[in-house]
Amino acid sequence: MIAVIGLIVGVVAGFVLQPEVPVYLQPYLPIAVVAALDALFGALRAKLDGLFDEKVFLVSFASNVVVAALIVFLGDQLGVGAQMSTGVVVVLGIRIFSNAAAIRRHLFKA
Amino acid sequence: MTPHPPPSAPARERRPDESMTLLVETMERPLDPGYAQAARERAAGTRGPRRAVTSVWVALLAVVLGFGTAVAARALNAPEPSALAARTLLEDEIASRQAEADALTARVDALDDEVDALGAQALSEEEPALLASLEADGVLSGSVAVSGPGLVVTLRDASGFDDAQMSSDSRVQDDDLQIVVNSLWASGAEAVAVNGRRLTALSAIRTAGDAILVDLQPLSSPYRVVAIGDPGSLKADFTRSVAGGYLVTLTNYGIQSSVVGQSSLEVPADASLRLYHAVPVDSPTAAPEESSTTPSARNDEEQGSGR
Repeated sequence: MIAVIGLIVGVVAGFVLQPEVPVYLQPYLPIAVVAALDALFGALRAKLDGLFDEKVFLVSFASNVVVAALIVFLGDQLGVGAQMSTGVVVVLGIRIFSNAAAIRRHLFKA
Repeated sequence: MTPHPPPSAPARERRPDESMTLLVETMERPLDPGYAQAARERAAGTRGPRRAVTSVWVALLAVVLGFGTAVAARALNAPEPSALAARTLLEDEIASRQAEADALTARVDALDDEVDALGAQALSEEEPALLASLEADGVLSGSVAVSGPGLVVTLRDASGFDDAQMSSDSRVQDDDLQIVVNSLWASGAEAVAVNGRRLTALSAIRTAGDAILVDLQPLSSPYRVVAIGDPGSLKADFTRSVAGGYLVTLTNYGIQSSVVGQSSLEVPADASLRLYHAVPVDSPTAAPEESSTTPSARNDEEQGSGR
């Protein structure tokens, strides 16, 4: 419960305060958002499976975002940033899809 | 020859997609294994009661993550204005610099004219013969604007295509202009200009991407080649030359051309014409002033454009 409330507080703060994003962070934003979506879908599925755990959720959320950004950063340094981004998006996208399918089975029994 | 299977664990069946472990992993275990482990620990009761410090950390992390994601989403949603602002800024800068360069070029031209006028005035009193030879040399070298009867050859890119679907064959290319210009010289032209750029002994017609450069200045279709010479023989010789047949061939690619004789044409001067190394044999002065720096600059410029 704490995690969900904290997330909501953070989201509201982000939209109200509207801070400027530094330019050097701009390339990682799409990846970070996709990683966050993956964590959210995973959490929803875990909740429906009855496995949800706040700590696991937050740690997976944070590590998702950090590792995804790190991979893209590494790719940028090696000159394959675009390909790395694609790879991260593909892997996270597949996970989002399968989690969404599991959620759908839970909700609609189909 | 044992009739029954070995007593060890049954051999693991080979999966048809065994070589694609990465995909299998992502497809079949999309959920973080941590959830299952936490659930097992909870069920087994091996997990102690949560401490207040952990709750604080969890809340803090949640706020930070929510904040970061919201900021990222918002920044992604509205990158347009800043990009647009940067673009308009650059456009303004380009326009203002271009205007500045144009103004400076106009000033150079005006000063050039003034220098020529003053020189002519000074020489006409003292050495009219020298002035006459100077002007004749200027006409031949291209440093003096000339007028007279001549020929206008116009080449036009094939029309009716979008820029995207237009093949390079349907565009006028540097070779086409080179052939036309060389044939004009061969047919007795005394001064030639392409789209208002005088061709001299140092001029180059070359291509860079889709643009044709004459003396490093990009030109665009239609290309108007103005040649001054004997109107009768120039046109006849030009039609009989290589270019005459070549222009007919170009119509197969959709490139339209016209050759029109005119009684009064003007060809501008090439203001950039100057000597960097060559010195007249009987000149009293040793070398031009700017010989130390300018030639290398000019070389760089020409090499840079050759790519």
